[in-house]
Order: sequence, then structure tokens, then C-alpha cells
Amino acid sequence: MNDKSTRRQFLDRTGRIIGFTAIGSAAGLLARRASGNAVYQVDPFKCTSCDLCRTSCVLSLSAVKAVNDFEKCGYCMLCPAYMDVNSRPDEKGIPAGKVCPQDALKRRVVGAVDQDDPNNNYYEYVVDETRCDGCGKCVKACKPPAGNGSLRLEIRYTRCVECNECAIQIACPDRAIVSVPAPGMAPMESPVEGKKS
Amino acid sequence: MDVTEEKTTSGAVWERLRKSWFPPAAVMGAFAAFIAAAFRIRPEPKPPAAPPDPAIEAGPAIDDGMAARRLDRAYALSSVLGGAASAHPFRQSLAGIAVGAGDAVYALGDNEVRVFDAGGNFVRSWKAASNACCIAAAPDGRICLGAAERVEIYDAAGKHVGGFTAGEKDRPADITAIKILGKEILVADASARIIRRYDATGRPLGLIGTENKTGKFILPNKSLDIAVDARGVIRATDTGRHQVTAWALDGTLMGKFGKFGMADPADFVGCCNPVNLAITPDGKVVTAEKMVARVKVYEPDGRLLGLIGPENFDPACIHIHLAVDAGGRILAADPVRREIRIFARVPGAGPAIGMRDSVDRSLVEILRA
Amino acid sequence: MAVLATGVLFAQYQKKPPDFGGTYSFPTPEHPEPRAAWVHVLDIVMLAAGLGLAAWLILKRRSRPGVLVLSIGAIAYFGFYRRGCICPIGAIQNVTLSLVDPRYMISAGVIVFFFLPLAAALLFGRVFCGGVCPLGAVQDFVLLRPVRVPRRLDRALSWLPYIYLGLAVWFAGWGLHLKIGALQVQWGRRFLICEWDPFIGLFRISGPFHMLAIGAGFILAGMFIGRPYCRWLCPYGGLLAILARVSWKNVSITPDKELDCGLCADACPYGAIRNLRADRASCLACARCYEYCPRELETRGGPGGGDTLVQVKP
Repeated sequence: MNDKSTRRQFLDRTGRIIGFTAIGSAAGLLARRASGNAVYQVDPFKCTSCDLCRTSCVLSLSAVKAVNDFEKCGYCMLCPAYMDVNSRPDEKGIPAGKVCPQDALKRRVVGAVDQDDPNNNYYEYVVDETRCDGCGKCVKACKPPAGNGSLRLEIRYTRCVECNECAIQIACPDRAIVSVPAPGMAPMESPVEGKKS
Repeated sequence: MDVTEEKTTSGAVWERLRKSWFPPAAVMGAFAAFIAAAFRIRPEPKPPAAPPDPAIEAGPAIDDGMAARRLDRAYALSSVLGGAASAHPFRQSLAGIAVGAGDAVYALGDNEVRVFDAGGNFVRSWKAASNACCIAAAPDGRICLGAAERVEIYDAAGKHVGGFTAGEKDRPADITAIKILGKEILVADASARIIRRYDATGRPLGLIGTENKTGKFILPNKSLDIAVDARGVIRATDTGRHQVTAWALDGTLMGKFGKFGMADPADFVGCCNPVNLAITPDGKVVTAEKMVARVKVYEPDGRLLGLIGPENFDPACIHIHLAVDAGGRILAADPVRREIRIFARVPGAGPAIGMRDSVDRSLVEILRA
Repeated sequence: MAVLATGVLFAQYQKKPPDFGGTYSFPTPEHPEPRAAWVHVLDIVMLAAGLGLAAWLILKRRSRPGVLVLSIGAIAYFGFYRRGCICPIGAIQNVTLSLVDPRYMISAGVIVFFFLPLAAALLFGRVFCGGVCPLGAVQDFVLLRPVRVPRRLDRALSWLPYIYLGLAVWFAGWGLHLKIGALQVQWGRRFLICEWDPFIGLFRISGPFHMLAIGAGFILAGMFIGRPYCRWLCPYGGLLAILARVSWKNVSITPDKELDCGLCADACPYGAIRNLRADRASCLACARCYEYCPRELETRGGPGGGDTLVQVKP
């Protein structure tokens, strides 16, 4: 009896020592490589608006949203991301078709307003995030030369669940989902100038 | 055990209940109800996709039909300057171009001004600011450059002889085009959305472009291009309105033509066109567009005369800088391929293709005077 | 070169926007920050507190109601609030990938989430399974009428977690690239555990149909078979089982003081009490055996005294 329990105790103790050593060394090895907190973000220079952001995200409404960079936006009346410029024009001569299938791009007229001539105004474009599903059609339409390239797809951290592995990252054919360190991460620039944060 | 005998009736009931099916079933039921409620009250319901509208269909193709083919043949490529295969290629950038006295071509690129003679031979070059984006040449050989808010003036040999800062104190100008008209320098200020008149010393003489209901030009592409013809009529691109406007020096609006349209070749495509402008010696207006990179030639009242199609330019161009020499040849600078293409009018090409809604008859009257 | 050229070209788009006239104030674009560092620290604190509380409730207080409340809290926080990510089970893959590929960015929180429950297992047994893991808590919750699984079947099935663990590690680190004759298989790295997690659809309240169906199947099975995922599939549970075998303090039944009534063995829905001894590897620390032990009933409510049967091994 005593021998058995002592031997068992010895084995248990040895096992614990081995266990703690293994855990400790593995944890230590990884801790040296650890970055404070890594989050996922879309690299706008690589993104080709392939629509996989909409379908690959584990959430039913993707955490990827289109975002308008107001400093780059042209505030065009005939925004190529808002309206499908190739669709049939209405009686005022403005194309009637919309690019966004969810009607998530909203606009309002701003600045000095001319009520009689819509062509004579600037419009502010904002993405409605409760409707946007990250398909990227507006982003593709806004790319130069058609637009100013102010719209880009971005992972919104109020929605991203921070999975162990980003499902969009697996699916993306352009390797556009990157892990970046956070917090204090500056948002990436819209892909017009050859510079990114 | 004593403990069991001391239990009261309610205690026995409670014991039986605790050990029965009831607690787990109640828990399960609560759980199931919670799950059902949670799935029904989903925080982000999938929004319904907009139903396809049968009334909205694709418009017809941009160029089609005999008229287009006739328009295409109005101008033909005669030479290429500064391209990759030339003796002096532009390696880094190509911005504005201008034609001066004797058909000398002044091109702004690679951080310098490069001068070519009428035959396309390289004459000289001098350093220019890296952010310079527009250039103008006077008949006496003076050159003006626009770089952000600065105007730099050079003499015919390339020596820097002066310069000034355009714009207001609190709102520096953003010069996207510059032209010399007699003793005045006209500066297109995209920041204030106006054309500013200065003399050679930088003294402001006036503004052009304030006359319209909301005042000033609508510039979604943040760039304003101007051109001046021999009679002193100033043409300006109003890209947001898809118009070419004509102004007198005192700021009076003399007329405008053009409208948005993806189908008719005479219309301007996309969100903000035409992006560039030039005027031929006989008053024809040359425009350049982006999105469909092409150059068009109009009569002064807006009737389309010729079309230099997108196969000549890189589709990624957001500008095609234009200039016209004394012989009426059109110089188009492609900033993506970094070459200047020169087009000459084909003799015997068809006349202008008829009247359009966008033509301004008033312009015809004014310009005939 | 091209970048420089396009930079000059597109530079005009970078300029300050023009004055639009009228009254218009520029909107400040919103870029929500990722979860602040303190939230991640909070996750770690909650994990450590949960493990410590579970150890105390199970080994010291021996309170089944306490464990139940703790596991409800775990479902609420780690399950529904954090939506099941990042979890220690999935962290196996992150750790594997990080060991295999030094370029892979692993965050400190993931490392702690992986190693802390393992350390707790070395100390106190599978307290992670008992009180903290939301997947286990869901299955424990729905256990209506546990059916005893034959011992042989249990033993056979208990190899599955290690097979799953091996597959998960293999796919997370390397992927599958095979060429056997005409057959060629090219599967890149993937996180199998995350793709086949049965309960994640429940916590996110969304997911593809097959994931929700598998989850529903496990919940249904879990009503009659105690914790099927935990016992026969969970790869992290496999790791915990190995470590719990040599744990310092854990649920055990001392041979001197027991009544030999066998009520605890009947009470355990996981078949972890065999020959009236608790098997440390398969004990999932649910504290049901304490609830039914007559000796324990005698002293219910009080801390472990000297004459209770089921006590902490000295």
C-alpha cells in the first residue's frame, strides 16, 4: 500500500514537473514572438472587390463595410459608385440605376444648394452600415479613373468577432486581409496615393 | 436515517420534485425559449436585396454607327513625342504641355521643363518644382508654371525671372491650369473653384467664374482647366456640370455647351468630365475625358467634329493634357504612358455631325461678331 | 517608379477638399478602434477568476449549485458576450501555427488562453471543463436523463479526441499536400476546429446551416448522453485529460472513509467513477457526485471537515 502510493506520488510529481516545464517553455517561446494584440484589416491596395468579403465572414452580415474617405471624395453628383452610369437615364438625364444592391450608399446635397439644377450641387455620400454587406461593388466603381478612389472596404471593429482565424483571410484570393498590431492603429489610406500606414 | 424522518410534507414534495424530470425539463424549456428568442431577435437582420427594376436597363454602347466612324477618321496620329522609344523619354512623370512661339513644345515632366522644337527635336531643359502640374507659354517666349499655390515665371532661356503666390491668405490656391493672355496671367484655382487674374508681378486683377446660381465651378475631380483663344475668350471646364463654359475677361459668362451622357459621343461620360481643354487657332474646342480616355474636337458652339478614340490612350488616365499648335495639330499628353501624341486633321473629313441639345446657339452669335 | 508617377498624378486627390459654399461642416470619418487592450486583459482576468472559482467551488465547497451558476456565467460571458472567440480549444491551432511559422502574429491573449487552463489542469484537474468552458456548460445544461454508455464503447471513442487533435495540428501547421499515383490532394492550412465547432453557431446566433445542424444534433444527443463533445471529440479535452492524470489536487474518493454505497458512481453522468474511484482523466468536474453522496449530505453547507468521505487528497 505505502509503496504503491509513494510510487504513484512520485510518478504524479514527475508528471507535474514535466507538464509545467513543457507548458512554461512553450509559453515562453511564444511569448517572445507575441504582439500585443493583432487584429485583422483589409489592405486596400490589394483588395479587388471580389465579393468574397460578403460571403466568407462568419457573421451573417459581414463585418466588412465600405467606408468613404471624405477628404478624397469628390462629392460628385454623378457618383459612379452611387449610380450605375450605364443605366438608362430618367427624364432629368440622370442614370436611374443604383450600384449598391442593398441601397446602402446614401447621399444628401451639401454646400450652397441649387434646387433647380441637380448638376449644380455637391453631394455627401455616407455608407449605411446596417445595410452594407461588404460586396465591394461601390469600391470597384469608385476606383480611378472613374472616381477618386475614396471608397474602400474596411473591417469594422464594432462588428468583427476576432476569430482565431479570419474566414475572409482564408478565402481572399488577393491576400488582402492582413494582421496588423493594435491598438492605436491608424486606419489605412484609401488606395490612391502610393503610401499606406 | 433520522434526517429522513424529520422531513416535513413540503420537504418531501420538494425532494420528489427535485429528483424528477421537472428541473431538467424546465431548464431545457427555458434554454430553448431563450435560443428561439435570440434567433428571432437577431441583432443584424439581413437586409432585403433591392428588387431588380425591369425599367432600368443598360444604355446603348458609347460609340456606334456611321457617324462614329466618320468622327473617328477626322484626326489621325502623326507623331509621338517623349515616349518610351524616343530619344528623350519621360521616365517618371508627364504633367502639363504648352505650345509657344514657332510651334515649340514645352513639356512639364521628370521634375523639369523640356523644350522641343517644331520638328520634335530636343532643344533644352531646366529644373522645375516637383509638384508643378501646369505650364503656359507666351508668344514672347516667357513660360509660366503652376505648382500648388506658386506661380513661377521663366524667360525664354529658362532663367527664373519671377514668381508669386496665388490665392487668398487663408485659402492658398491650388493651381491646376495656367494661361497667359497678353500681360495677364490667368490661374485656375481648384481650391477656391475660380479663375484668378493676375499681372506679372502677382497683383490680383479680378475673378472669373462667379456667375452662376451657387457661384463658382463644380469640381468633383478637384481640377479646373482653362484655355484662351486668340480673341480673348476664356474657356473653362466645369466638370461637375459636364460643361465647357466660355467667359469674357471681365467675368461675364458668354455661353456654355455640353451635358452628361454615356451613349451619345458628343456628350461627356462619367462623373466629372471634360478634364482638359484646348482651343485651336480657328476657335475649335478640344476636350479630353477620363473614364473613357478620349479627345474630342467641337465647333465653337458645341457641335461634335471629331473624336480621337480611347485606343490611343491608357485607360487609367485621369488627365490628358492638351495643347494645339499653329497648324491646328492637337498635342495630347498621356501621363500614364508618359508620351505626347500629336494628331493632325485628316483633309476631307466629314463635317460636324448635326445639332445637339447641348449646343449653345448664343455662342455662335458671339463668336461670329 | 510607377508608384511615384501615380503619386504625382493622384496627388491632386489628396488635397484639401474645396469650399463647397453655403454651410457645410466636414464630417469626421469614424474608424472604430479595435477592442482596447484593457478588454483583452479583462478576458484573461475573467478566465483566471473563472478557473480559480471553479477550483474552489468544486474542490473546497463541493457545491453543485455553485458550479451550475458559474457555468451559466461562463456561457453568458465567454459564450454569448465574447461570442465564443477566442477560445482555448481553437487556440491549439494558433499555437501550432505560431510554433511552425515564426512570421505568424500571435497575440498574448491567445497564448494565455491556451496555457492557463492547462496549468489549472495540472493543479486542480479539469476545472476548465467543469466551470468555465462554455461549450461544455451548454452540454451540461441540457443533460436530462443521462444514459450509461458501455465501458468498451467509451474506451474506444476516447481515442477520437487525439485523432482530432492530430488532424487539427496537422492542418493548422502544414495543411495536406499529397500525391499518390494519380490522386493529388492540395489542402492548404486551415483551422479545422473553428470550421467544425458545433456550438459557435449558437453563440454567434448565426452561421451556415450545416454548423447549426451539427450543433443542434450535439445538443439533442447531449440530453441523453453526458457531454458527448467533451468526452469523445474535444481535442483540448484530450490535452487536459493527459495533464489531469498527474494533477496536484482533484476530485477523488478516498478508500478509507467511503460507505461503498455507489451513489456517486450512479450520479456521475460521464462514467468517470469506476470501481468507486474517480478517474482523474475523464472526470469533468461537474460536482454531481458530491451532490448525491450521503456522507456529503450530512455535512452539507459546511466547509470540508475531517470526517467527510469525499475529500481532497492530501
